[in-house]
Amino acid sequence: MAVLSPTQPTHRRGDPGQRPTRRVGFSQRLGRWDVKVSPYLYISPFFILFAITGLFPLGYTAFVSLHEWNLLGGQGDFVGLENYSAVLAQPVFWKSLVNTFSIFVFSSVPQVILAITIAALLDQNLRAATFWRMGVLIPYVVAPVAVSMIFGRLFADDYGLINELLGLVGVDPVGWHSERIPSHIAIATMVNFRWTGYNALIFLAAMQAVPRELYEAAVIDGAGRARQFFSITVPQIRATIIFVVITSTIGGLQIFDEVRMYDTYGLGGPDKDWMTTVVYLYDVAWGNQKNFGRASAVAWLLFLLIVVIGLINFLITQRIATSGPKSPKVRRRHTRALLAEARSAAAAGDTPHPQARAAAGPPPPPTFPPTTSTDHREDRR
Amino acid sequence: MSSVAVTAQTAGRGAARAAAKRRNRGSRATRSAQRRPGWLTYTLLGITLLISIFPLYFTLLLGSSDPTTIAQNAVPQWLPDASLFQQFAEVISSTRINFWKALTNSVIIAVVTSAAVVLFSTLAGYSFAKLRFRGRGPLLVFVIATMAVPTQLGVIPMYILMSDLDWIGKLQAVIVPGLVTAFGVFWMTQYLSEALPYELIEAARVDGASMIRTFWSVALPAARPAAAMLGLFTFVQQWTNFFWPSIVLNSENPTLPLVVRSLQANFFTDYSLVMGGIFLVTLPLLVIFAFVGKQLVAGIMAGAVKG
Amino acid sequence: MTWLWERYHDGGGSATIPLSRMPDPDKGVTVLSSTRPTRRTRRVVAATAGVATLALALTACGGSDDGGEDTASGDEKITLTVATFNQFGYTDELLASYTEDHPNVTVKQVTAATSEDARNNLTTKLAAGGEGLADIEAIEVDWLPELMQYPDLFVDLTDPALDGRWVDWKVQQATTPEGQLLGYGTDIGPEAICYRADLFEKAGLPTDREKVAEFLGGEGASWDDYFEAGKKFVAKSDSAWFDGAVPTYQGMVNQLEGAYEDPSTGEPKDLKTNQDIKDLYDQVLTASVDDDLSAGLEQWGDDWTAGFQNNAWATMLCPPWMTASIEQNAGGVEGWDVADVFPGGGGNWGGSFLTVPASGENTDAAKELAAWLTSPEIQTKAYENANTFPSQLDAQASDAVQDSTNDFFNDAPVGPIFSARAQAIEGAPFKGKNYFAIHQAVQNALNRVDLNGDDPEKSWQGALDEYASLGL
Repeated sequence: MAVLSPTQPTHRRGDPGQRPTRRVGFSQRLGRWDVKVSPYLYISPFFILFAITGLFPLGYTAFVSLHEWNLLGGQGDFVGLENYSAVLAQPVFWKSLVNTFSIFVFSSVPQVILAITIAALLDQNLRAATFWRMGVLIPYVVAPVAVSMIFGRLFADDYGLINELLGLVGVDPVGWHSERIPSHIAIATMVNFRWTGYNALIFLAAMQAVPRELYEAAVIDGAGRARQFFSITVPQIRATIIFVVITSTIGGLQIFDEVRMYDTYGLGGPDKDWMTTVVYLYDVAWGNQKNFGRASAVAWLLFLLIVVIGLINFLITQRIATSGPKSPKVRRRHTRALLAEARSAAAAGDTPHPQARAAAGPPPPPTFPPTTSTDHREDRR
Repeated sequence: MSSVAVTAQTAGRGAARAAAKRRNRGSRATRSAQRRPGWLTYTLLGITLLISIFPLYFTLLLGSSDPTTIAQNAVPQWLPDASLFQQFAEVISSTRINFWKALTNSVIIAVVTSAAVVLFSTLAGYSFAKLRFRGRGPLLVFVIATMAVPTQLGVIPMYILMSDLDWIGKLQAVIVPGLVTAFGVFWMTQYLSEALPYELIEAARVDGASMIRTFWSVALPAARPAAAMLGLFTFVQQWTNFFWPSIVLNSENPTLPLVVRSLQANFFTDYSLVMGGIFLVTLPLLVIFAFVGKQLVAGIMAGAVKG
Repeated sequence: MTWLWERYHDGGGSATIPLSRMPDPDKGVTVLSSTRPTRRTRRVVAATAGVATLALALTACGGSDDGGEDTASGDEKITLTVATFNQFGYTDELLASYTEDHPNVTVKQVTAATSEDARNNLTTKLAAGGEGLADIEAIEVDWLPELMQYPDLFVDLTDPALDGRWVDWKVQQATTPEGQLLGYGTDIGPEAICYRADLFEKAGLPTDREKVAEFLGGEGASWDDYFEAGKKFVAKSDSAWFDGAVPTYQGMVNQLEGAYEDPSTGEPKDLKTNQDIKDLYDQVLTASVDDDLSAGLEQWGDDWTAGFQNNAWATMLCPPWMTASIEQNAGGVEGWDVADVFPGGGGNWGGSFLTVPASGENTDAAKELAAWLTSPEIQTKAYENANTFPSQLDAQASDAVQDSTNDFFNDAPVGPIFSARAQAIEGAPFKGKNYFAIHQAVQNALNRVDLNGDDPEKSWQGALDEYASLGL
């Protein structure tokens, strides 16, 4: 018997997802090639430009760090890791690391918390929303000379506004420039002032993408605002939280401008009390030593440190931002189990056994059909 | 319940859009009815705004004042006055600086770089977030890691490169290094990973859209708030960037920060003039803020894939 | 009980869609209709793309018009750029007058805002091989010790025809041990003492500037005289005598011929055994802290700026350019004046030079222009424009300088005062390549005591540690 099976199954109406599986036409091949190559094509403009403007300086700096290299004198001998060991032996380097870390903690932690709070406040149906939202970004655009003037007048030791106010209430003046921790706090304040609004808007943009139905459902369930925030908003914008934590870690460990404008010399004070590592790097390269090789070694050591701390922060944030007791895998398996139950129950004609349900986990929502698109869900960051 | 989809099929796309808007408005109404912000919110935001705006207001005050008063008082006056405009006029017409050239250059640089950064970052971010390809993970980590190397030293190799290309003194030297940023790619990756559901992409693919079509019709609109913010941030950054332009450009072909800085002399700075200049230069940014702020719209995707 | 909405997300940060899960035959249509970019979005995107293209095109067509240097010599038209900072006093008319005499040369000036910007600029470009530097680069005297290590980067400006134009020590400052002249001097900073006549009056001290000069020690004034006068002042006043230990110290150390290094060999002196420096250190700290003569303020800082308005101190070491700063910060304060006296006779603080980078294309023409710009006539004109005190002997003797007064400083005849102080300067201190590194260690030690209140001996030990870390 001749099997006159068609080479292609007939198109079934209402079944747009079906594709002919036998013959692979040219357009199919094109489509598959499209899928394979497109990702690389899309990232290539970035990487090509980046190779020139981002990678080249990186490689150059690495190359320089292995040589004795004076900024004006030019390239010297190859010295291997000697620059690195020389830097590690400098007490100023270690002092700058402690300063950097301290200023980082004072700046990044309050910043992220404040930014997400402000974003939550802004994520509401405000009157004149644009005004409120863009207003928080203004500190970012004020010129450094103006900012340093204002904060200088605030934080001056003898005639500064803050110390004057403290004097009015009978508190001793704070040594903003003569003591270590107050100087860190002052610098961190300047940094926070500049970047909090910026990060708040990043959070806000992410919060705008959270579907409003989730909040509506929560309100129906009687959830208060705080509960909504911690259980809906935070998990939904988890990827953005990670982004902000990482970028503010990277930025916070590289604080430079604020330290430079904190006093006249811009080198962290006579005791290097507030000198951060990038300022130390600048001093080694452009200062009295003009030691380009050593400065490059500092840059790469700092890079290692940032990577380590960035990773730590990433892991911490991932843990914190994942609220709720269930992980995706459990959820998927759970719902698949429920589906299977429901189908078999429908086939068998009776309701699912309460015990089986309890064993599988919390009961599914009674009014909504079980989700099927979990099957298509893929790994999300 | 008439779905937007059915409306689209029967009454056309325009009507579908109107239906979608009606639905969104509806949900916003319910949202607003339930979550109208109270006085606490406005108070907290008010304090935040006061702190944020004060420095800019302070530059206005300084610009309305004169050097003697500025030297004598922490706050020279409490309200700006008309002498501010005198300072503006002086800045614009000053023979010491090339104001109009600087303005033109700043606009060109800022517009070109922000457009490019948004486009390239969204493309790359979309790929990293939603497409699968070999090396995706390590490449992304690599991109993020490059942000961790301090850029102060990169000035010298970049300068060497620019002078080899003979771009010193020309705008390309500032524009080209700013066309792509690791920050932008990382940001769009994170944003798209959470704001762009796979269902949409699959639906488009299922409908036979090519990759680029999918990007154009699905990813770009979904990325709107984030793209707006990224564009704004890049614009501001380039507009206020001082250090790199001060090295590769000069007072013949300046940008606005260079020009404003020239108003400062070492030993006798006319702060009222300098602050007037600073405010003048910040003004265009405020205008752009107002425009971009409107792009922060909630619920673009909500209601998009409803039955 | 779990919340309803908790079931609608998988905790992985997805914007999940709740409600209907039934396969929707309209799904594809829905996507296209509500997420396709609206006409407005498309227009915006197109507009942006258009602007971007246009801008790129504009840029490519040359948004620049920098000092296009044609390789030239002789009669070809060339443009020379002069890079200055602050205010050198070179106006456009002044530079145009050069073209009248040399029709084939156009002179353009590029200015950096502050000397630090200019220095960063110069250093970066030198480090990159010299590209992009102006034909003439102005430098400050403090940059010389470092730049003199690389004399090849600059053209030798030695010219016997210009002998005797400048004060000897000015030329000496820019001459390498091998005899190469790196720069032509422009201005100098001869120091006098600026004082607050009104605070003196309140303390019962003389106020007239000649009498004040006598009070501070007159022609043979020493630092001890200055400090003794200070003690008399602070006994009767709330204000301090001078602003800080460091600015006072720098006046003292600039009078030593070889402060930190041996002038003949350039070798650094071990700070541990450098008795001269230790003596100065002790002397200035005794005066500052023990005798309470110092206001304890860091120069150019916010407290220092505010200090002018708060009568924080009554005298300070004053080169001509400092008068501008005082005038700005002490706006509204009446009573500043200048006395023709200086402890130790004379001292110089600051000063600039014009150099010609060797990487330029028209170095001969540039050398000629530099010589013209630093001629007494031109420097006098610059002085009239910007109060930069000339280093040229003829310029100092000119009427313009000798007749100049400063109305903020009680119409003091600043011209004659500063020229007299300039005459009293004996020579320039030797500053080798390690000068500033060692100097900074001592400065930090002084600041730790003066500003932060540390113990002087402990702070000195810190300076020794810092010196040791230099590895000299």
